[in-house]
Amino acid sequence: MFDLVEAFHRPSSIREALRLLHAGGRRARIVAGGTDVVVRADPEIRSLVDITRLGLTYIKRSGGAWAIGATTTMAQIEHSAALRALAGGILVEAAKGCGSVQLRNMATLGGNLANASPAADTAAPLLVLDAQVVVAGERSRRTLALADFFLKPGETALGKALLVEILIPAPPRGARTAWSFQKLGRTESDISVVNAAAGLQVDGKGVCKWCRIALGAVAPVPLRARAAEALVTGRKLDGSLVEQAAAEAAREASPITDIRATAEYRREMCRVLVKRALAECAARAGCSL
Amino acid sequence: MSGDRAVVGQNLRKVDGVKLVTGRPAFTDDIHLPGMLIGKILPSPHAHARIKRIDTGKARALPGVHAVLTYKDVPRVPHTTAGQAWPEPSPYDTYLLDNKVRFVGDRVAAVAAETRAIAEKALRLIEVEYEVLPAVLEIEQAMASGVAVIHDEPDSTKIFDREHNIAGYILREIGNVEEGFRASDLIFEREFRTGRQQHCPLEPHVAIAWLDADQRLVIRTSTQVPYHARRQVAMILQIPVSRVHVIKPRIGGGFGGKQEMLLEDITGALALATKRPVKIEFTREEEFYMARSRHPQILRMKMGVKRDGTIVASQLTVLATTGAYGSHSTTVQGNTGSKVLPLYRAEHMRFECHVVYTNTPVAGAFRGYGCPQGFFAQETLVDEIAEELGRDPVEFRRQNMIRLGDIDKLSAQLGEGKEGLPRHIRSCGLPECLDRAAAAVDWDGKRNAAGGPAHLKRGVGMAATMQGSGIAGVDWASAFLKMNEDGSFFLQVGAADVGAGADTVLAQIAAETLGVSLDKVVITSGDTDITPFDVGAYASSTTIISGGAVRKAAEKVRAHVLDMAAKMLDAPVDKLECGDNQVYTICECRKAVSMAELAMHAMYKEKTQIMDGASHFNTDSPPPFCVTFAEVEVDTETGKVRVLHLVTAVDPGTAINPMQAEGQVEGAVAQGLGYALIEELLLDGQGRPRNASFLDYKIFSAKDMPRLTTILVETDEPLGPFGAKSISEVPINGPAPAIANAIYHAVGIRLRKLPIRPEDVLRELREKLPTL
Repeated sequence: MFDLVEAFHRPSSIREALRLLHAGGRRARIVAGGTDVVVRADPEIRSLVDITRLGLTYIKRSGGAWAIGATTTMAQIEHSAALRALAGGILVEAAKGCGSVQLRNMATLGGNLANASPAADTAAPLLVLDAQVVVAGERSRRTLALADFFLKPGETALGKALLVEILIPAPPRGARTAWSFQKLGRTESDISVVNAAAGLQVDGKGVCKWCRIALGAVAPVPLRARAAEALVTGRKLDGSLVEQAAAEAAREASPITDIRATAEYRREMCRVLVKRALAECAARAGCSL
Repeated sequence: MSGDRAVVGQNLRKVDGVKLVTGRPAFTDDIHLPGMLIGKILPSPHAHARIKRIDTGKARALPGVHAVLTYKDVPRVPHTTAGQAWPEPSPYDTYLLDNKVRFVGDRVAAVAAETRAIAEKALRLIEVEYEVLPAVLEIEQAMASGVAVIHDEPDSTKIFDREHNIAGYILREIGNVEEGFRASDLIFEREFRTGRQQHCPLEPHVAIAWLDADQRLVIRTSTQVPYHARRQVAMILQIPVSRVHVIKPRIGGGFGGKQEMLLEDITGALALATKRPVKIEFTREEEFYMARSRHPQILRMKMGVKRDGTIVASQLTVLATTGAYGSHSTTVQGNTGSKVLPLYRAEHMRFECHVVYTNTPVAGAFRGYGCPQGFFAQETLVDEIAEELGRDPVEFRRQNMIRLGDIDKLSAQLGEGKEGLPRHIRSCGLPECLDRAAAAVDWDGKRNAAGGPAHLKRGVGMAATMQGSGIAGVDWASAFLKMNEDGSFFLQVGAADVGAGADTVLAQIAAETLGVSLDKVVITSGDTDITPFDVGAYASSTTIISGGAVRKAAEKVRAHVLDMAAKMLDAPVDKLECGDNQVYTICECRKAVSMAELAMHAMYKEKTQIMDGASHFNTDSPPPFCVTFAEVEVDTETGKVRVLHLVTAVDPGTAINPMQAEGQVEGAVAQGLGYALIEELLLDGQGRPRNASFLDYKIFSAKDMPRLTTILVETDEPLGPFGAKSISEVPINGPAPAIANAIYHAVGIRLRKLPIRPEDVLRELREKLPTL
């Protein structure tokens, strides 16, 4: 599998990891859980830089905001009682559906994002949460919105830098705030055929004050459905609005046909999942549609 | 039925269980021989091509490469890879290596090198110039005039019609179906399609070959058919059978894919060429498209019925593809007729089948062996007929199904590649299977409560199926037993435990017969130097055929034991009984001798080895029966079908080990569920596999499994050891039709193509209810 790999590095600092990564050039690859790197087994790889000993495995809360280290595993997120309380547990739900138990024990949140699969399960809930990513370069650190992080399938704005942390700013709270994560796969531990996440807040009259809708596996990158969000925001939530928003989200998608589904089916499922996500949010926020 | 039996019928632990769960080195790949080389096969990138020029110079020159073989370096011996009894009914259309390639993945060359990386590099250095030929990929194209002829080589034999790419053709009729249709009140005819499922064994195909100190070729291999593999390898490599030693260690699942001589020949050829041990192990990707798969079929099923529900005539017309080579081509397809149609007692039956070559991955034996396709068609159509007649599907089947005392005449016409033998039904638990399974799923309650809230609709459906137990008049086996000083016995069988538990069941049969506990029987199986002949693990034959041989051998040994005890106890043989690891008198005097004492006496006083062997075959193949009930939930917005409950009731005759029997049912159900809903190897327009990995080809895992209820309805089969028939295949047939019928019950659409994918469900739903 990695017969041509010459070195497996286990640096203990971010600085050292970055140095090894640069020294290795385009033949060096970062590895954490290995659930993508090992499966792909790129024959070009000559050195692997293991980042699981950089102290990047943590889930921290400060005020209403959260910081999750890049090498935190899906299993750790899945079993985090604290994260379950965040945003109706949509991130926990997404992590839970990510492959099998064995995979979740290895796979990391940073890896799920840096791999830049349009189908990444955690991307949609994190987009809904306005998450940011902290990226460490040799000289500096920068923070950018997750929405700007994905460029195209397999490609991020990371360059030769290292994704070290995922920041989740304090989300809207309260009884009239609700969240939902929806996933359609072929099996229970499958990659998403389509996934969708939504979050919204309504006022006492059922008017939507704030709305986020994100989609996975229906475009080159995980996507915010901004037109659908705009449609919902400021209007009274009802069945018809949910249908309209779902149809709008489906229009924003640009799915492809692959082994898992046709483009037409994905677009249609995009509508169905957004409808279900918004309906579930509405129900949780106490609105009757 | 097991009331007075100490070993048979008991849930005893697998005799090989501890070494498996503790990870002891038990499998083919668990040994490493000094100097062992790694072999790799260069797969064809083209679906159909002639090799115009092949230059292995650079590959041979690569340091670490010990051999590169092409068709120029090996004997050209037409053969079949199907591991069947001689003479194999499959066409002899395959060569160790050939100057023509017939599917993407076909062998072009083989390399043996110091490491896998070197072997892979050597493959890349082989220069091949192909004359690419038009490929026949679609099953319906294959017989058309003017299309490419896939087997144009003159030396292949037993091909039905090579000019039209027809590997095999079957036509059998009992009664006169045309007359039957004329006599029918209603006629139903539908077309069905089934997909290309792959076996997905935990352990891929792997073989290690070397020359022993006597320069005999030893092949340690993951096979279901050690004896057939030995015979075929000897023929292909042109060495005497006595110079080949095949060892079958523990096997990580075969499911029919290893009833095939697939790597043994090429691994052996590389070992002979290099004089070094050579290992070839398929990667998962290679396993998907270079090994075998289930025959895709297009089935046209026609049935004529009277208004009173009597099925008068049934006709099944099949177009199947065997892929590029005819392994198991006519025999799998023969089963689609012979094991399916006779489930119902139609007076007139007709089965016709063309098996065609295409430039696609090779199909072969696969658990169910043609029955899953046939039963999908038949059981779905029967459900439709019952609906049309306003009859309950269970009652409609009950009216028409085969029963005790019946003689199935279609089997007489459709044997293993030749005329067969009539099948007498001497045991039949079908009625009880129907009763108990219907109760377990709450059939009456749920049949009247289809539907459900909003977009989730529930329904229940069912199917009835049968199989065989060994191939009548063809399968045979032998067993040998000898007694040790401690009163234990060594049991040697050619039977091939592939993980299904045959070693345990056979040891239980021996132990029961000899009156000893299971730990007193030490079994060795599937080693052609040590154990006597057995056709191998296929056709649901091991328990009934190999078990029959064990029973006979054990009875002979028991007679020797009793003779010895008669002398020691000074009692007549007819007053002696074996049990509890001793021989005791059944008269007033109450004398006994332990097996250990008896063995010591025989060996050191009488100077006699207590031992004997026996061979066994049957002239009939008693069918195990099975009914499957499914409860499903259809998501009408996504088309996803969730199976909530699968109830399987099976009549396996006597269950020698009920716990293992249930395990076989659950495994078959899991595979049948995948066949129904998600499993299909897909090809692109050039015949290349599109989903040769578990990322893209999905199988159901523990997380996906619905609630399973497994019911064993035991009967007493006169032809089986202790009344046993078989169990490992029959439960795979039911899930697809039962689920299709349950979907109909839930939402009123008929799905006639496997696998039933969400997109197809959604499309059918939209056609039925355009407003959805």
